Amino acid sequence: MKKTLYCLLFSLCVAGCGESSREPTDTAGSADGLAGVTAEVEAYYAANPDFFSFKTPADLPPDLVWENNNHLPEIGSPDAIKGGTQNAAMQDFPRTLRTVGPDSNGGFRAYLLDDTGMTMAHLHPETRDLYPGLAESWAIDEAARTVYVKLDPAARFSDGEPVTADDYLFMFWFYRSPYIMAPWYNNFYSTTYTNITRYDDYTISITTRELKPDLDERVLLLRPIPQHFYTDMGDDFSERYQWEFEPTPGAYIIRPEDVRKGRSIALTRNKDWWAKDKKYWRYRFNPDRIQFTVIRDDAKTFEAFKRGDIDQFGLGLAEYWYEKLPDSDPDIQAGYIHKVMYYNQRPRPNFGLWINTAQPLLSDRDIRLGINYATNWELVIEKFFRGDNTRMNTGQEGFGEFTHPTITARTFDISKAQAHFAAAGFTERGADGILVNDQGQRLAFTLSTGYESLRDVLTILREEAAKAGLDLRIEVLDGTVGWKKVQEKQHDIFFTAFGVFLELYPRFWEHYHSDNAYDRAFLDDGSVNPERKLKTQTNNLESFAILEMDQLIERYRRSSDRDEMIQLAHRMTEMHHEHASFVPGFYQGFFRIGHWRWLRYPEGFSHKHAQGPGEAFVHWIDTDMKAETEAARRDGTRFDPVIRVHDQWAE
Amino acid sequence: MFALTPQTQKKLRRFRQIKRGYYSFLILVGLSALLACGELLINSRALVVSYQGELYFPTYGDFHPGTDFGLDYDYETNYRDLQARFDEADEGNWVLLPLVPYNPYENNAAGGVFRPQPPSAASQHYLGTDTTSRDILARLFYGTRIALLFALGFTLSVYLIGIAIGCAMGYFGGVFDLVLQRVIEIWSNVPFLYMVIIIFSVIPSTVAVPTRIGILLLVMVLFSWTGMTYYMRTETYKEKARDYVAAARIIGASNTRIIFRHIMPNVLSTLITFMPFTVVAAISAITALDFLGFGLPVPTPSLGELLKQGTANLRTAPWIVISAFGTLVALLTLVTFIGEAIRESFDPKTFSVYR
Repeated sequence: MKKTLYCLLFSLCVAGCGESSREPTDTAGSADGLAGVTAEVEAYYAANPDFFSFKTPADLPPDLVWENNNHLPEIGSPDAIKGGTQNAAMQDFPRTLRTVGPDSNGGFRAYLLDDTGMTMAHLHPETRDLYPGLAESWAIDEAARTVYVKLDPAARFSDGEPVTADDYLFMFWFYRSPYIMAPWYNNFYSTTYTNITRYDDYTISITTRELKPDLDERVLLLRPIPQHFYTDMGDDFSERYQWEFEPTPGAYIIRPEDVRKGRSIALTRNKDWWAKDKKYWRYRFNPDRIQFTVIRDDAKTFEAFKRGDIDQFGLGLAEYWYEKLPDSDPDIQAGYIHKVMYYNQRPRPNFGLWINTAQPLLSDRDIRLGINYATNWELVIEKFFRGDNTRMNTGQEGFGEFTHPTITARTFDISKAQAHFAAAGFTERGADGILVNDQGQRLAFTLSTGYESLRDVLTILREEAAKAGLDLRIEVLDGTVGWKKVQEKQHDIFFTAFGVFLELYPRFWEHYHSDNAYDRAFLDDGSVNPERKLKTQTNNLESFAILEMDQLIERYRRSSDRDEMIQLAHRMTEMHHEHASFVPGFYQGFFRIGHWRWLRYPEGFSHKHAQGPGEAFVHWIDTDMKAETEAARRDGTRFDPVIRVHDQWAE
Repeated sequence: MFALTPQTQKKLRRFRQIKRGYYSFLILVGLSALLACGELLINSRALVVSYQGELYFPTYGDFHPGTDFGLDYDYETNYRDLQARFDEADEGNWVLLPLVPYNPYENNAAGGVFRPQPPSAASQHYLGTDTTSRDILARLFYGTRIALLFALGFTLSVYLIGIAIGCAMGYFGGVFDLVLQRVIEIWSNVPFLYMVIIIFSVIPSTVAVPTRIGILLLVMVLFSWTGMTYYMRTETYKEKARDYVAAARIIGASNTRIIFRHIMPNVLSTLITFMPFTVVAAISAITALDFLGFGLPVPTPSLGELLKQGTANLRTAPWIVISAFGTLVALLTLVTFIGEAIRESFDPKTFSVYR
């Protein structure tokens, strides 16, 4: 026994020593190996000459029309005051400060990248036109599916290094690299683009594979990856950069001393930000510091807000807007807290019931139609959301012309539901009122969700469905567990929504292409492959596989003609509706907030395409007003109450 | 066999003398009786319906579709509406509803929207409604019933396993005892909450609600029986060394006989003393698990779920947390009082501090 122990100790020691002796060689390698991965990157460029081209400014096509959209309205207000600290809460501490790779797709990414980062150009929140960011100007050559960009020579990362063409070349290497452990990025950056050309330090062109109506957005919304920062790339990427803040060309940085793991994190305004005087940027990103504290419980966060510890609180749920912070609340009536509602227009998250057609019974269209008719969303909207939300009609809502104009969702109708269930063989009601077929099978399905906060919606649907003889067994899962379940395609019916970007046209491939439903769904002659197996880890939650749909999707993806794409989108939406594998739920055509009066927004601020009030960072903290308000709360001074509804973008 | 020994009679007499515990016991028995026939008191199904000269008793048994009573739908009759309709039509038909005419699942929005309604005798929501307009009294009532049943099942199972293994360890001793003790030490160090979370994440959702409650019970029992073995083991060790055990062995009694006929009655006082506290632990555990969202499956009525709703709506709907918390406190106090009384009456030392 003792002998074994010694052996074990010895081997441990050997392993340990091996580890420590390997460490220095590694560092030495990166020191003399021309700053880490540079050699590997150069070799990759050389090995892919079609993708990475190196030319001179003389090679630029002579007839390019350079534009920079400098005529758009300013964003934000000249009244904005820089300074102050904004206090905010978050439910969970970010699991990483990386913006790519495992665990990086959390809610905090908006503050690391999506809302605070800079790309070559950005979509204007009011007009949806592109306005310049890192680019000084750009030129579009549709015939060549190419966008030419002149980068702003003044652009700097937060560590002082200039943003150059090399950071864009490196970006493609980075996103295609296996080290980042992000298959979606690997795939997207390998298949969407076909070339990047470097003309000089500040001039590049990027070519896409297909000519799409949003060619300019596809290129100009790309961001640079600081090559000088990622010098040590390797298989340990995700651990090595786990808590490293990537230098940003944007206004906010995260200092290591502000990262208190599990407790709080803060953004600090970069006072030497290169874009601080530029049009579209100068009135934004105003607070000096944005302090996020972890408060795990919503009810507690609300209490902290009511105390004034937090400056702003989202009042999206009806219970907050009407019950917990009603117009009659003393703080509202005294004008300390302002209540504001903003309508917006943008693609809507597709809340609804995703029916897994690969499950027995659910593969029967009559059953699915029955489920469509047996879910009482009208009641949910009217009584739970108090009529504020709107019924979704299709899975692609808010895409303007691309959204189908006439299809309406099936409304709650017990007799129609029963007619469809009867057609599927469910004619008799059992002792508990649930339909059974002649084999004694009950009409029961599991309705799962990962949304703890919307469990009440499901209990309402369940009670109503029972009237039509349908038993929905509710399963409320933890968010991650629920997501795992659908990704494994083990669900019957799942209640969820996908976040939708501000895109010109909806995506169909992800949800409805058979490639994402089965491994080889169809045989070469177009018939159903009898041995097909469910494909896991895709977003085709309905296991939707129709050959004709596949063909339409492929045409849609190739098409560069806007009208044709619209037609195809409508046709596909119709097919999807016919298939009845999705029960459209609801969408919220607005967002609403409560904020203390010292957190100020520009006069009349209401961005048409905004998703939330803080997205464009046009707000500021008025420290004088904060002192005034705090004094007023002590001595009882009152201000005019402010309850505003900005409905100019109401649909 | 059922004749009580004078000693036991004395213990029972003492139990009755401890008024606090004795009355708590009576109240709990009464409450259990009420809970057992709860469907007659709190239910959306009518007690009696008299329709066209015929009497119906819908409380137990199959559901009655609306068509049975001349309504135009074939799902479960809404008896409250039926009553209103009969009263209006005045054709001699009548409905007798239970005291609280709601079941714990239905959303009955009096104000048109689903929101917590304060207690009101007029709408017969005597404790108000929860966030989706379900009757709190009904949910509390059935939640308590489930919690008590759960606690009962839990206590019985834990005792069965704990006694069997504990006695065996104490009686056989030696290597058997040594090995099993180590096993128990390891087993009791497995974090219980994580196990519940993990196990529940892999249970297929097709499993029906009662089965899932059963699985939860099983998991909890699996991780709770160890505590009982320690007491049983030491008690058995102690009793085993006594002369009467040696005498029984000399006569030729089998191990089983010695354990169950001779040792067991002598360690009974330990067992009974612990019982109420095990019940308390079970109720608290199931409530805590529900509060955390890992307990009984939605939408099963439960105290923990109500507590959670209550704490989230402290300001706007204090009646939720008051009734849930009040019920929990009352229930646990009753059981604890009973426990203390039992403990005192079974205590051989007469000068106990409890009174």
